[in-house]
Amino acid sequence: METDFFSAAFLSALLAIVLIDLVLAGDNALIIGLVARNLPKESQNKVIFWGTFGAIAIRAFMAIIVVYILAVPGFMLAGGLALVWIARKLLTPEGGGHEESHLAKPATTFAGAVRTIVIADAVMGVDNVLAIGGAAHGSVLLIVLGLAISVPIIVWGSKLVIKLVDRYPSVILLGGAVLAYTAYGMIVREPFLVTWFETHPATKLVLAVLIFSISLAPWYSERLPAHMKPLVVVLPALLLWMLAFEVAGTVWKVQIDYLMASNQGEYFIEGLRWIGWLPFVALFLWVREQFVQRSQRAARDTH
Amino acid sequence: MRLIHRSHRAANAVRTVSPSGELFVASVVICMILSAFGDAVDPSLFGELGLEYALFDLTGEFSVLAMRHWHLLQLFLAGSALAAGIMVLRIVVGAFFRPLESAPPQDAEKVPIKL
Repeated sequence: METDFFSAAFLSALLAIVLIDLVLAGDNALIIGLVARNLPKESQNKVIFWGTFGAIAIRAFMAIIVVYILAVPGFMLAGGLALVWIARKLLTPEGGGHEESHLAKPATTFAGAVRTIVIADAVMGVDNVLAIGGAAHGSVLLIVLGLAISVPIIVWGSKLVIKLVDRYPSVILLGGAVLAYTAYGMIVREPFLVTWFETHPATKLVLAVLIFSISLAPWYSERLPAHMKPLVVVLPALLLWMLAFEVAGTVWKVQIDYLMASNQGEYFIEGLRWIGWLPFVALFLWVREQFVQRSQRAARDTH
Repeated sequence: MRLIHRSHRAANAVRTVSPSGELFVASVVICMILSAFGDAVDPSLFGELGLEYALFDLTGEFSVLAMRHWHLLQLFLAGSALAAGIMVLRIVVGAFFRPLESAPPQDAEKVPIKL
């Protein structure tokens, strides 16, 4: 990553980090309030200061550690897959009421309060540091700058952030899209897979669509009519099926390109690749239909 | 608990997002997928197919194949331009063509669409 402060690459990575920080930010103010509520008045201000300081320090430390961990082969792929899940969870609408953090029990001592705040921040911030570690392309400077910009906003300007996302919920969707794009970048940069992607360039597009179709599923499934809802499962499954044939072709040295197929077995594999998924999709749709009918019948019987 | 969960609208963003905001994010996602497409296509393939011209435009910066080098900021700008273009197109088309309305199902008319 180039360190020219005004280059598009640097500003883009910084923007991604700040956006990810804002949408994945934990509610530090609430945690601090819950933990410090049973302490005497004079200790509360000290707890707020040291709790905030500890939270920022642990966040910066974890983010820098993540940059080094992501350099280890295999972790970039695991981190990318985790980001897909995080993006999907971010966009999934809230079911019931707010989940109260079980980490934020009221503390009775100053040290206990600061410890609880720091641990709560570390647990809540794992997804956050993973995402900014991926978006920073290995640059510690970017991570520190991103944290220096976003942490004060989250800690002292949380009301401003809430106002922003309340007025423009599209910021959350944009955050989900940036997370998915970061996940794609991380998986493609995985040292184990770099050479494979170079020899199979078309799979990059399949992978990108697969990642977006899984991450953004809560968004587009909300817009699909009831009879089209199975697409949320069928589309990613179909892309996975195609990717699996590419991977199998490499692992077992099987010829899966029909232009290069030379014997009956290779033509059979090619046929399986393009139409073999149809029976599985038909089976899935039939089973789903049976479940829907059964639940409708059960609902009718109870009325 | 995340900060965004303090706002009901933000926690249910997929339901509460405005049409224009949704169009903008969708356009950005399209640009991101196009950039992945540029990343996936081998430029020499175009040469073999005799489609070299597809690689070049006025400055060589705006073809889908060049999008592989685009950064997030550029993708956001391209997404904004695409969303603005679609919005203008919708307004212009809406001014000239009246949308079709479906006739009530119980209507006596045989044709289910009426102008």
